[in-house]
Amino acid sequence: MQVRKRNGDLETVDVNKIVKAVERWVSDLDEVDPLRVATKTISGLYDGATTAELDKLSIQTAAELIGEEPQYSKLAARLLAAYVDKEVRLQEVASFSQSIRYAHQQGLIGDETATFVRRNARKLDDAIDLDGDLRFEYFGLRTVADRYLLRHPRSRLVVETPQYWLLRVACGLSATPAEAIGFYKLMSSLAYLPSSPTLFNSGTRHTQMSSCFLVDSPSDELDSIYERYHQVAKLSKFSGGIGIAWSRIRGRGALIRGTNGKSNGIVPFLKTLDAGVAAVNQGGRRKGAACVYLEPWHPDVEEFLELRDNTGEESRRTHNLNLANWIPDEFMRRVEADEDWSLIDPSDAPELPDLFGEAFDEAYRRAEKKAVKTVKARDLYGRMMRTLAQTGNGWMTFKDRSNALSNQTGAPGNTIHLSNLCTEILEVNNDDETAVCNLGSINLGAHLTDGAVDWAKLRETVRTAVVFLDRVIDINYYPSPQAAASNPRWRPIGLGLMGLQDAFFQLRMPFDSPEAKELSTRVQEEVFLTALESSAALAEQFGPHPSYAETRAANGDLHHELWGATPAQSERWAAVKSRIAEHGLRNSLMIAIAPTATIASIAGCYECIEPQVSNLFKRETMSGEFLQINSYLVRELKARGLWTAPIREQIKRAEGSVQGIAELPAEVRELFRTAWELPQKALIELAAARAPYIDQSQSLNLFLSAPTIGKLSSMYLYAWKAGLKTTYYLRSRPATRIQQATVSVLSPAEACSLENPESCEACQ
Amino acid sequence: MLLDPGMDLTLRPMKYPHFFDRFKDAIKNTWTVEEVDLHGDLADLAKLSPAEQHLVSRLVAFFATGDTIVANNLVLNLYQHVNSPEGRLYLSRQLFEEAVHVQFYLNLLDTYVPDLGERTAAFAAVENIPSIARKAEFCFKWIDSVYELRELKSKEDRRAFLLNVICFAACIEGLFFYGAFAYVYFLRSRGVLQGLASGTNWVFRDESMHMAFAFDVVDQVRAEEPGLFDAEMEKQVTAMLEEAVECEVQFAEDLLEQGVSGMSLSDMREYLQHVADRRLAALGIAPRYGSGNPFAFMELQDVQELSNFFERRVSAYQVGVTGTVSFDDDF
Repeated sequence: MQVRKRNGDLETVDVNKIVKAVERWVSDLDEVDPLRVATKTISGLYDGATTAELDKLSIQTAAELIGEEPQYSKLAARLLAAYVDKEVRLQEVASFSQSIRYAHQQGLIGDETATFVRRNARKLDDAIDLDGDLRFEYFGLRTVADRYLLRHPRSRLVVETPQYWLLRVACGLSATPAEAIGFYKLMSSLAYLPSSPTLFNSGTRHTQMSSCFLVDSPSDELDSIYERYHQVAKLSKFSGGIGIAWSRIRGRGALIRGTNGKSNGIVPFLKTLDAGVAAVNQGGRRKGAACVYLEPWHPDVEEFLELRDNTGEESRRTHNLNLANWIPDEFMRRVEADEDWSLIDPSDAPELPDLFGEAFDEAYRRAEKKAVKTVKARDLYGRMMRTLAQTGNGWMTFKDRSNALSNQTGAPGNTIHLSNLCTEILEVNNDDETAVCNLGSINLGAHLTDGAVDWAKLRETVRTAVVFLDRVIDINYYPSPQAAASNPRWRPIGLGLMGLQDAFFQLRMPFDSPEAKELSTRVQEEVFLTALESSAALAEQFGPHPSYAETRAANGDLHHELWGATPAQSERWAAVKSRIAEHGLRNSLMIAIAPTATIASIAGCYECIEPQVSNLFKRETMSGEFLQINSYLVRELKARGLWTAPIREQIKRAEGSVQGIAELPAEVRELFRTAWELPQKALIELAAARAPYIDQSQSLNLFLSAPTIGKLSSMYLYAWKAGLKTTYYLRSRPATRIQQATVSVLSPAEACSLENPESCEACQ
Repeated sequence: MLLDPGMDLTLRPMKYPHFFDRFKDAIKNTWTVEEVDLHGDLADLAKLSPAEQHLVSRLVAFFATGDTIVANNLVLNLYQHVNSPEGRLYLSRQLFEEAVHVQFYLNLLDTYVPDLGERTAAFAAVENIPSIARKAEFCFKWIDSVYELRELKSKEDRRAFLLNVICFAACIEGLFFYGAFAYVYFLRSRGVLQGLASGTNWVFRDESMHMAFAFDVVDQVRAEEPGLFDAEMEKQVTAMLEEAVECEVQFAEDLLEQGVSGMSLSDMREYLQHVADRRLAALGIAPRYGSGNPFAFMELQDVQELSNFFERRVSAYQVGVTGTVSFDDDF
């Protein structure tokens, strides 16, 4: 068999050559068999393939062995890094500064960053960590290579290596080379990563680095609605996720005075929004995404809850929009007491979206006289639960709690009208101001030493993170004037956490154990406290954020105090309070636990504060399909001599559960339970315990394999009573599944189980 | 007896509740063509090599008629002879699903093949693409084998019918479609044609259920009439699968003739043999080939998926959900 080289010559395929290429990378990977990779690569090859195809196939082949041996993930990543490296070098780029110069010539890099790098070329070039790529797992690096690295506008070849990319991101946010190198080292160690928009855009010509935009409901008129479409499109174009409220728009059948006609309600307008969001492709890197928030007194709420159904009239379905309920406490109280609930047209009570707490309750009761329709509160709640079960959407978020505890609602007239696309951001906005938040997350798993949290390292990471999150606010490119009006005034940031599950695995704490809850709470306290200290230090240097006087902190109230929690580090809290009293805060909000879907992949850790979904699952992304296997479990099984083909098959057959593996002791099985096997009450309790130290909110997914209305209604009432501000997806599992194609078929005798007696001939 | 001639109408007492359960489960898997977003696929198609483009065009041409053939057999044969009202409920549901699949592939071809002349040719693949025509002939042969049977009166009639059921479950849905799915999943494992893959994912899920139901029917008939499935019949089934593997291998020769990196003809042959062995195993028949699965990306299909919404739509949600509001359920 022959391959075609880049210069066009044909060459006979040589197994040894492939073996050598693999051997280069396996010095610390003792379970990898280079010959196996080589022979399997060749068996997938065809005669006359190019050497580039051969290289790609060897990467793919290594990746396909991950299910047997997780070390192949590192191997595949390294082969990929070598491939990328070659691609960059072929464009005569041999160093970081050359990469920046080349990308600047192609119009990809901003002038300031180009100048900064040119002036400090030697120092920066020397800072590149040659072993940095060795830390990546395959899925993470594949994602980076396919979507994060800058590409030549015409040839589409990548013009930076993964390490150049991280240093470019750091340079885009730094004033001095020392600062840039420090930030680069932190990111390159994968202990902290900023959110995707920052990783995409820092240092480029369009420095839109914020993740989240919260757009207030358009006012009840056509011009305002179309202005919002325009704004959403602009925000979406530069990688932002959008939350938008829609509660001010009158419902179906309401009178339109201008034409003396009747309104068609919110659905046709949301259909237009749906199409608009789908049309915006975020630079080919991902599709636009938005979440619409509606309060449950809106007359169209029932139609709203059907927007994601997959049956019914297509003109009333919005498959690209996410949906969330923005729920006042009065609704939940009436659900609990089994009372009536009034649907009220916003044109009859335009003040409702701007009120919360008692003021809302009073206004709502007054407006009930003008109700368009009355329903049983429980019936509507049941429909919300049904929507969650059927679509995972229709997130339950709580308006009163979100407002009452927010640092930004210290002055009258400031109201939080919605959360964002992932329900972790809670910020005030209005017609003229669109709330903005830029995010980053600490990888907790990378902050453990000797079986304990390394608190000093954690503090250091928080300090660096806060400085760079704050920096984004000044450098950021704001795609809409409303966003530009809000962010400099409030300067909110959202520092999050990921890899909590990694920490629990490393410390051998079951997710629902009291120790796990205690640890998660103390970590969150440390992060919040250090973030406040850092923000106070920034305020000392640059002054408090301009709207500081409107915050609750200005009155001496911090979030955990409003919550009524008792912190562990009372002395440091006292100190930071007096420091805040003296200098104020540079940032109105500090903490938000984002879902970290992509950056956790890059860092190779579990997502945010979530339990593992499965010990064995696959990810499907724009880059392809990737097997994800719990490497902590594999280590455990190997130590017990249980990492065998039959056990692997058993785990696969059980869809990633180890509960049926009798050879494992009970406490090991307990440790490796999946999200589906954990009591959801425990997830809610963990979230509530850390919530005092989260001044925005957390993207809290809940998991029920087979949801029923009864379970869901109990669960969400519990979440509300626990004081959570928001919840996120309801994850459920398919009713039936694809017949497994690779696990062995049970013979008829084995298939004769009690579950399926009638199909068994042996019993009859 | 399940295959007794007639039109049983009584659901209570229910004789085959597991058929009814399959009907209910199938409803929970409802999906619609509108949920599949094909817009990214066009850009991918343009990026594919000529060899891969050839593969895709042949593949969609097969899909264009494959499900219609299955639906026809269902109506002409299966529905008629499976004399159980709950079984027929499932078959009605299956018929609906086949119709959705047909609609999906119609939509797919309309999107993938903008040229009207080419599109017409693709839909006429059974007539003008030899490798597809050969597979179609195989199907028609087995539809026709029982076409004249209005009632299953004798043992021979029932055997003939079982062979038809097994042909459609094990060879057509269980092998031809599994071959086709392998190409789709191969492409998805390379990160291209996500729209095709997500629709196919749902089709695959449905087809798995169809096959399982058909095997249920076979098992039921065997349990009710143990002598029916004799050594001669095992031989016929094995021969039938051999023929199906040959049909599918010659289709693979056509698809892969220009060389596709990562999917060699020898691997494809081994995969098809492996699938055929699995079908035999499900029927309690000894394996014919003893081949393993060479495609790691097919192993991925056995693993639970986790999608994040920035990427693609989550396909796992349940459509049927029951119960009433209460506050003291365990969760």
